[in-house]
Amino acid sequence: MSDKIKTILYPFGFAVGFLIIWELAVRLFAIPVYLLPAPTAIVSVIDANLGSHMMVTLMEALIGFLLANILGFITAVIFVHSKPIEKGVFPLAIALKTTPLVALAPLLVVWMGTGYSSKVVASMLICFFPILVNSVKGLKAIEFEAWELFSTYKGTKWEIFWKLRLPTSLPYVLSALKISSSLAIVGAIVGEFVGANKGLGYVVLVSSYHMDTPVMFSAIIASAACGLLLFWSISWVEKKLIFWQRVDEV
Amino acid sequence: MTSQVIEMQAGTGQQFGGNQSSPANREIAVSLKNCSLSFGEVQVLNNVSLDIYKNEFLSILGPSGCGKSTLLRLMLELLKPSEGGEISYSSDKPSIGMVFQKPVLMPWLSAIQNIELPLGLGEKKKFTKKEAREKAEGALQLVGLQDFKNHFPHQLSGGMQQRIAIARALAADPAVLLMDEPFGALDEFTREKLNFELLRLWESPDTSLSTVVMVTHSIQESVIMSDRIVMMSPRPAGVEAIIPVPLPRPREVGMEEHPAYYQTVKELRKRVKHL
Ligand SMILES: Nc1ncnc2c1ncn2[C@@H]1O[C@H](COP(=O)(O)OP(=O)(O)OP(=O)(O)O)[C@@H](O)[C@H]1O
Ligand SMILES: [Mg+2]
Repeated sequence: MSDKIKTILYPFGFAVGFLIIWELAVRLFAIPVYLLPAPTAIVSVIDANLGSHMMVTLMEALIGFLLANILGFITAVIFVHSKPIEKGVFPLAIALKTTPLVALAPLLVVWMGTGYSSKVVASMLICFFPILVNSVKGLKAIEFEAWELFSTYKGTKWEIFWKLRLPTSLPYVLSALKISSSLAIVGAIVGEFVGANKGLGYVVLVSSYHMDTPVMFSAIIASAACGLLLFWSISWVEKKLIFWQRVDEV
Repeated sequence: MTSQVIEMQAGTGQQFGGNQSSPANREIAVSLKNCSLSFGEVQVLNNVSLDIYKNEFLSILGPSGCGKSTLLRLMLELLKPSEGGEISYSSDKPSIGMVFQKPVLMPWLSAIQNIELPLGLGEKKKFTKKEAREKAEGALQLVGLQDFKNHFPHQLSGGMQQRIAIARALAADPAVLLMDEPFGALDEFTREKLNFELLRLWESPDTSLSTVVMVTHSIQESVIMSDRIVMMSPRPAGVEAIIPVPLPRPREVGMEEHPAYYQTVKELRKRVKHL
């Protein structure tokens, strides 16, 4: 059996086994549904409605993710080219990072209301730091001799950026994207907890009020699926783009 | 420690080779005067004075860590000598090519793209895309890697990577070529082949290459290739001696049998021991 098939088949086999044991355990010990619903009970509540909530969360997370990464990368470029700005702004970025998002989320809702924007910003806040730190590291990671090579052949600052710094930073950037792909969902859901009328966070919250555990489970699973979807997409892009560097698996 | 410049004649003192007129009336390509350099507390170069002539093949020998790479960086103007030192070039500032001690290839560029890279750098582009491609292909052929044109550095062996780096320096048609142990990572066969390829290229009237400065660890290689050999003392390095090689040009395979070859190698060995 080829390794490729094994890497798919083994986890799949274990997952199926786990679900079967779960189902049997719930039935055998007659566990009440509000404590632990059986997998079949969870599947039965998955419907188009859940799908639409999932799309909402996914969109919020995706927009926050994209904006944060663009902004974070641009900030990193500015940092790398200006020591004073880096020295002045980096502590602020760290302060922002150490402030728990959960503490900030209510403020965001006060400022921006219960619509999309507060969730997008929550998601941005959580995604901003990984890309900033990794991009700064990556843009600075150029080999000294490579810089000397460009200088010897009269390469301009612009050329050093496009042809040396940018490609050198790509592996670092992609690794930040992988980290923040799952964080983006966290940001959106935290935003929805605080104030929203749609999205997976909202579903989880409302179903907990109603002790509707199967729906709650379905929303949790959907949020995990969102994170996986983003993570796998980024991993795929990374494999295509960074062919020269061996990827360390997370 | 003061360094002294000793011009010594190996062998019988007999001059071979038609193009080796006496240094006094030859045109200087690069000239270093009283160059010293320190990295913080560590003094690396101590009062180095050295004239390098046009149409000259010069080798630099010296113990590891003495400052040979640093000397080349001075010539490239990547480093500045401390107060009192001066580096000057022939009136028409020559185009300088460099082969670093490491290959320094861009891992995201294919072999041919790596060779083209310096051709496309700088404010005023010297070559069109098509010219650059042709030059790169020619250089690739020269180092015998035309079949690996589209391979990426991680798909090439260490020696092949170094050959790409050599091709990259040659593609830009330099007048002065600085090489930092360019053949150190190569096997004996490739090394000897490339030694002579480089000599042919340097002798050929078709290329603008006129001066080669090569740092090497191999006494044999320095003798078979150079007109003069600069021996450097341990750190803080100065020029210990400049030894001319009285072997005729063009250099050919088998010249290791030449008595002048033996004598120069012997002389160098003796000096290495005394360092
Ligand atoms: N950027 C640097 N900062 C501080 N010290 C340096 C730097 N570059 C070189 N040195 C020091 O200068 C000395 C000479 O270095 P250099 O690389 O010129 O030696 P080298 O003669 O080329 O040696 P090798 O034959 O091993 O390549 C060494 O002692 C090294 O530690
Ligand atoms: Mg060196």
